[in-house]
Amino acid sequence: MNNEQFEEELHVRPLQDGRVYTNFVFKILLKNAVPRSANTLGSEDEAQHYTVFPLALGQIIREYAVTELHLSLNAGKWDYASWGYPDNPSVGSGAELWAWMGEGDEKRVSISFDARWQGLRNALAGLFCASLGELDERRTTSPVYAFQPDGDLPAESMNLAYAFHPSENICTENLTPFIKLLPCKSRSGIASLLNPHRLFDADWHGMSIRVLWRADEGVEVQLGVQAVFDPIRLRGQQKRDWDFPHIFDRTITRACPVAYSSTIRVDLPLSGPYTLTPDPITAGNGTAVFDVMSANKPLDVSLLYLNEAHFTYPVDPSPQTDLSIARSHTGTSQAHGRFHVTLTNSLNHPQRVAYLETPPWIIKFYLHTLTVTVDQDPRPRKDIIQKLTYIPTSSNLPTLFEPTLILPPNSTVHLTLDFDKTFLRYTEHPPDAQRGWDLPPAVLIPLSSNGSSAPPSLPRMYTNTLLVDLATPDFSMPYNVIIMTCTLIAMFFGNVFNLLTREFIAIKVA
Amino acid sequence: MDNVLGGVLAIRLLAACFPLYDIFHDDQQLTSPLTSYSRLREGVYLFKNGLDPYSGGVFRQSPLLLTLFSTLLPLSPVLSPLLWTLCDGIGAWCLSQIWKLRRSSESEQRSRTGLIVALYLLNPYIFLPSLAQSTSTFDNTLFLVTVYSACAGNVPVALLSLAFLTHLSLTSVLFLPPIILLLLHGPSSRLSKPVMFSGYKRALPLALQASIYVGILALLSTLATGNWTWVSRTWGASLSLPELNPNPGLWWYFFTEMFDYFRPFFLMTFSMHLLIYVAPICLKFQHDPLYATFLLQGVFATFKAYPTLSDPGLFLSMFSIFPEVYPYLRNPIVTTLLHLHASLLLPLFHRLWLSQGTGNANFFYASTLVFGLANGFAVLDAIWAGLRIAFGTVNDGVEMVQK
Repeated sequence: MNNEQFEEELHVRPLQDGRVYTNFVFKILLKNAVPRSANTLGSEDEAQHYTVFPLALGQIIREYAVTELHLSLNAGKWDYASWGYPDNPSVGSGAELWAWMGEGDEKRVSISFDARWQGLRNALAGLFCASLGELDERRTTSPVYAFQPDGDLPAESMNLAYAFHPSENICTENLTPFIKLLPCKSRSGIASLLNPHRLFDADWHGMSIRVLWRADEGVEVQLGVQAVFDPIRLRGQQKRDWDFPHIFDRTITRACPVAYSSTIRVDLPLSGPYTLTPDPITAGNGTAVFDVMSANKPLDVSLLYLNEAHFTYPVDPSPQTDLSIARSHTGTSQAHGRFHVTLTNSLNHPQRVAYLETPPWIIKFYLHTLTVTVDQDPRPRKDIIQKLTYIPTSSNLPTLFEPTLILPPNSTVHLTLDFDKTFLRYTEHPPDAQRGWDLPPAVLIPLSSNGSSAPPSLPRMYTNTLLVDLATPDFSMPYNVIIMTCTLIAMFFGNVFNLLTREFIAIKVA
Repeated sequence: MDNVLGGVLAIRLLAACFPLYDIFHDDQQLTSPLTSYSRLREGVYLFKNGLDPYSGGVFRQSPLLLTLFSTLLPLSPVLSPLLWTLCDGIGAWCLSQIWKLRRSSESEQRSRTGLIVALYLLNPYIFLPSLAQSTSTFDNTLFLVTVYSACAGNVPVALLSLAFLTHLSLTSVLFLPPIILLLLHGPSSRLSKPVMFSGYKRALPLALQASIYVGILALLSTLATGNWTWVSRTWGASLSLPELNPNPGLWWYFFTEMFDYFRPFFLMTFSMHLLIYVAPICLKFQHDPLYATFLLQGVFATFKAYPTLSDPGLFLSMFSIFPEVYPYLRNPIVTTLLHLHASLLLPLFHRLWLSQGTGNANFFYASTLVFGLANGFAVLDAIWAGLRIAFGTVNDGVEMVQK
């Protein structure tokens, strides 16, 4: 066990609207390990023997020579204004998969990048029982600014593949294999709090799998579950006190014996008298830390708000983030539409951001209609967009629209962009064709200013998904349409043929 | 004629001052993916910003238009309506000159040219797409320039403008045989005095000349864009139907409802279907190639891949230069009523389907069937009248029929 280390942590943060944000993080570090290079895929891999590191995941990332992998399955819409930034920024609702993999030298690599991306998707789909096979080339793009690696990358040339499927939501059958990857499963330790009945009832819930490489440490797998619970709704009364049996319906009865550290961090409320039981190990800087190994079992952390008979929702909640983004689409026709994106900068200095939009081929942008206005001024501004990376849609591939903008301080920038909606073939429509198609969320990535080498301080933000209504043909009519059109053509052809080939004769009629 | 031309053009310019473009510019009866002005602007914008407009599936116009509008003629809200009105005017003038060349020996030509110009410019099927600034106006104008030059015997101009027309619309390559016949035989009306055509040997050099022009323009297009992707995006669109946007034609719904397994076969069938009318009509009407061109234009307008209203509009307007066949038309009233029916229902059902959502695709499809029937009736009537006129008037109690 010397070269593997398992740490688990639960972070609990009460939110200003009475909800409770919980973030489970299970980190398994494989010390001094190096990701497999794409050039070695032709030869047999070295044997892998793990004790706490999940073998199923380890096999997958070595099979396809993946250096960095992020998979998240989320359900719900993350409310940045009320809840602030999540610990793990991947909160777009749906299935998101992105991976940094090496291209490999052309002569030495035996499997192409695209083949490995497909293999990776299918392997993860099998492992987590999720329809990740939908993330094929119809939804895969390679953004330029977004999704920079969280860990280190080796010296060879690496490419990013990013895919998003907004209709794929998380459910119990995804959580079960996730728990199986943990060393202690859900029998002991913090993972015993993962109760599917309560977790999938939460207002927002999602699970994420991240694999990183740090050159000085090794390969790290972070398995995480984030959820936003509503103790007021669960209780039925307007009191926001919570404890573990109340929100999870579980307590921690045993600590995980193979865990290097097992901690619970609770962010303390800013105002009001409250009681936090049991006593934490340390309480400072607004955070209370509990150590699961040494605490009394069954461990039940509870936070009671004293002197609060009823919780009053904040009437005018202050936005919890400095930047905010909202996206919508307008238009009543099933042939055209228009995107509206609103970016608000509450900081006192200009902020350079990148905006990533990867709609599937059903949306065709008209880039010449891109208009940028600031606040209420109707004159279009040419100085807001610095650079634009644009790969238009062709055949079934998605569009990549990634402008870099400078948001002026204390202002709101409005972007509008017209688009055409595609008319799909009969076989391309999904079974519930009248529902419409989901568009993946747009991503706002704050960047550091030009020339600065410091990493940006703000995390990326996701907008909501959109539902696009496409025109549907009549699905009961293929035979009828074919025969009616062919009848018209045949009648015309027949009559032309007759007119051109028959002889004229004179007949007496009187 | 000049008074009428000037007057109607002034009316058209006045109409262009109103914001009718905003209403019509994305109307799917007046524009198609191959002719839409928004797509032209998008292609020019991408081209000017260094992106290959043919890498995406939005821009489907010819590289010739791309280079024209990105270098010589800017696309602006003021200049574009002027340009489209000018093209319409050129087309109307060519049509009146075609009439004059056809009736070179008669005196009634003076009074009729004004009527011909008015029937072309005031035909709603023609001026509405022109108000929407659809590039089908250029198709019509180039077609009329080709036919006028062929009537006048001007070989280089006729074949060059046919080459340009082929680059804008692939279906127009099928006009080469009747245009060659027209160059060799002249436009005079011989419908009532048919004679066999004997100059086929002189046709081959003309065909070679036309294909050289098309090849040179193709090479220039490739030089302008840097690669050959424009071929599959522009010409390939008529053959493989990548976009199923509704239009007044018959292809879109047929291929929407088609299963993928049968798609290649039916695409081939529909393209061959256009091809098979060229030889028979040219052979049967070899004594009057102008009439053969007119009939083929009607056939292609009904059955081509991405038609707009301007294609049958040109056919109906060209009826005005063949007054000799009017007494022999069998059912002009039925055709007119069918056209009226279809032209009222097409925009109504389109709006009900796509904007309001109270109708479905079948409504619009049915109105395109009626429109196809109306155009079919018109062509069939024109064929019958063109053949019947050879027999002249008959005595009472006797009728000419086909056995």
